[in-house]
Amino acid sequence: MLITQLKAKETIVSLVDGKKVFIINCQGCKEVRFPEKEAVELQKELAADGNVTGIITTDYICNPENMKLRLQKHMDEIKAADVVLVFSCGVGVQTIAEYLEDKKVCAACDTYPMPGFQGVTPLEYDCKQCGECYLNLTGGICPITACSKSLVNGQCGGSKDGKCEVDGNMECGWERIYRRLAQIGRLDVLKCPVQVRNYATDDEVSK
Amino acid sequence: MENYTKYKLKETDELVSLLADKDNLFVVACNKCFKEFESIDEPDCGEFEKLAAEQGKTVTGSVKVDFLCNKYHTEKELLDLIPEGTENIIVISCGLGIQTVADLAGKPVYAASNSLNYTGHHGMALTKKSCDACAQCYLNITGGICPIVDCSKSLVNGQCGGAKDGKCEVDCNKDCAWEKIYRRLEKQGRLEEFLNQPVQVRDYSKVNFKVISEYVKSIREERLDGYHGGVHPSERKEFSEHIALERFPEPKTVVISMSQHLGAPANPIVQVGDTVKVGQKIGEAAGFISAPVHSSVSGTVIAVEPRLHATRGGEMMAVVIESDGKNTLHESVKPNKDLDSLTPDEIIDIIREAGIVGMGGAGFPTCVKLKPAKPVDTILLNGCECEPLLTADHRVLLEFADDIIFGLKAILKTTGAEKGLIVIEDNKPDAIELMQAKVADCDNIDVVVARTKYPQGAEKTLIKRVMGRQVPRGGLPADVGVVVDNISTVKAISDAIQKGMPLIERVATVTGEKIKKPGNYIVKIGTSVKELIDYCGGTTDDDVLIKMGGPMMGFALPDVNVPMMKGSNGIIAIDTDQTKEMPCIKCGRCVDVCPMDLSPLYFAKYADEENWQGMKDKNVMDCVECRCCEYICSSKIPIVTKIKAGKNAVRGMK
Repeated sequence: MLITQLKAKETIVSLVDGKKVFIINCQGCKEVRFPEKEAVELQKELAADGNVTGIITTDYICNPENMKLRLQKHMDEIKAADVVLVFSCGVGVQTIAEYLEDKKVCAACDTYPMPGFQGVTPLEYDCKQCGECYLNLTGGICPITACSKSLVNGQCGGSKDGKCEVDGNMECGWERIYRRLAQIGRLDVLKCPVQVRNYATDDEVSK
Repeated sequence: MENYTKYKLKETDELVSLLADKDNLFVVACNKCFKEFESIDEPDCGEFEKLAAEQGKTVTGSVKVDFLCNKYHTEKELLDLIPEGTENIIVISCGLGIQTVADLAGKPVYAASNSLNYTGHHGMALTKKSCDACAQCYLNITGGICPIVDCSKSLVNGQCGGAKDGKCEVDCNKDCAWEKIYRRLEKQGRLEEFLNQPVQVRDYSKVNFKVISEYVKSIREERLDGYHGGVHPSERKEFSEHIALERFPEPKTVVISMSQHLGAPANPIVQVGDTVKVGQKIGEAAGFISAPVHSSVSGTVIAVEPRLHATRGGEMMAVVIESDGKNTLHESVKPNKDLDSLTPDEIIDIIREAGIVGMGGAGFPTCVKLKPAKPVDTILLNGCECEPLLTADHRVLLEFADDIIFGLKAILKTTGAEKGLIVIEDNKPDAIELMQAKVADCDNIDVVVARTKYPQGAEKTLIKRVMGRQVPRGGLPADVGVVVDNISTVKAISDAIQKGMPLIERVATVTGEKIKKPGNYIVKIGTSVKELIDYCGGTTDDDVLIKMGGPMMGFALPDVNVPMMKGSNGIIAIDTDQTKEMPCIKCGRCVDVCPMDLSPLYFAKYADEENWQGMKDKNVMDCVECRCCEYICSSKIPIVTKIKAGKNAVRGMK
């Protein structure tokens, strides 16, 4: 579940320039965000040149087994194409590229990270998967994502009127943490020694 | 299969020091997501409770929650679960769940777990592929292998030179991504193109979390507008929405089923050889929840026997009539008194005798609905037609506006409701404009415009959307003072009163990308679906799925030799879809889209285990079978089929 946006029209046109193209739309995550209308418009323009061998709209192409079942009946159209243009997130493009190993498979979208991705619903909260949760020292407000600088040892001193110096529209994460701790009577937590962040991934730690 | 389990308990030492100055703990554990859905019992909660007990702490209670980060559900349930005397809340989940609880609880919240730290974001399936969401996809240059995720160093300008025997120098179990990229491009003959490509420097400013965050929030608000859940399938109404109604040619034979409504089938009251006329009753209602059936043609009864039924998967009793083509009216068909001189009970009698049932598809006898056990203040006319493709109600709104208003006035009179609201989705601006002009001088009738979303037209979501009222679990619209009727039903009521014509024909759309000539038709009940499809030029090819109804809630027709019924609002011919059912991976999307706030993933699991009590406990009877869960399911599980099995079993338990 990721957000996608179409690449610039010139970029997409240059990818397929004069070549036969087969188009795959993945709408599995449409309820989160998929630029459906823009994609349809663009594909109409591409098809006007007569170089499109087929267009399919499907979902969850990141699931290889069902993706293969669905592509099977379009294999002739895929074989006739020089390029397979995939409108999906990066996971989908990679899954198709692996399956159609001999084909030029191109991404027509750029993929953006989504807050709350780890979980199941898009949220205003974000978790950077730092691997050493700070939330029990910070009243449940994440200093990694709520502070522009991801500081773990308190505010930088640059905030003005409670706003972040990096982004004047953003509340200072550490002021929020302070207020939350004061509210629940846990300001003493701030006296805990600083936990330095370990940037190793779990794979590396467990090695 | 990969397992994207998101968190693990913190080390014992850390937990011991965390608990040192805390007591009276309430433990909230998330049941984890993106993993094979085998067990609902995650061990972490128990492990933590054991550790707390060893430290001599009092645990006031514990709860395991699915999708703790689903704020909508967590907010509804969490506060009631926290027992009195709780001082601290300990959360075992990924960082999202912990932040969600911390925001809602109003008590100190502590994390007993760490989110696992892995690279990249996965898709919706449990595969090894992942994407770092860098916002400038490199896959076009690299043959579909991602240099950001697959190269330990995320290099974008070729390999570092440190690889040995094709293995990464950072992790020798890993293939060098750039060697993989080189080999694939070599195989495709794209090496030259690739090597001549200038390096695309990675632009780290492209990922602006704040912008994305606000963007997602706005999408989210739009999506959850009106009621929680729902989906936006592609509408594809342009095939037929602007095609005016046409009277379908007189069928030679009609097969009129005795089971076109919810409740007891009607009893046939004609015999083979009888001559019947248009509007003549041929089946008598067999109980309170039942409806009579009338002949849609004049002619001769040639069979009274079970015939293939479109939606019940078998044969049901039917009367087969050969038309004489004359359409002679039966003497019972004559206009009633005007609306002002009819009493509410007289109107209900007319509706009952005309065999009118809900024409949106459910087929509930309308006269029963119009005598609610509780006082009703508002009538909602459902002109949403939220099913993709179908445009029958849209055409009825445009071409029978006056009949609709007449029918609505009749319903207002029978129920004593003060207000009538005609609800139309914003994808039908012409219908909205027309109806608004028509009701301009009616004090007690208004048009409400609803933003398009499926399943807007389901009774309970419609009431939530328009009135802001929540029909209780197991309840009826009348419990919140509302009666909902479909546009076509109301038109039928108008015909019954003004012309004395029972329900013998309806408007239906024949459409879909595989129908050669889509259109909207006034069709006699009992007309063969096959004749309809043939009349519309047939299908473009044989690889086609025919459904009665829309793509979401319609019934697949393996055999098109079935008759149109009172609830048949359309016939669609669409593309087939080859998928197979895969194991549930707990992605949680079915929970996110269910408009009834249910957890459909459990229905799939429990149906396979035949755990009917479990289904009942999860409120399976509240499911409206809208198929949002099935539509969104990333594992392609036929959830609604399983739900139907569950409902049948639960009904049998009583």
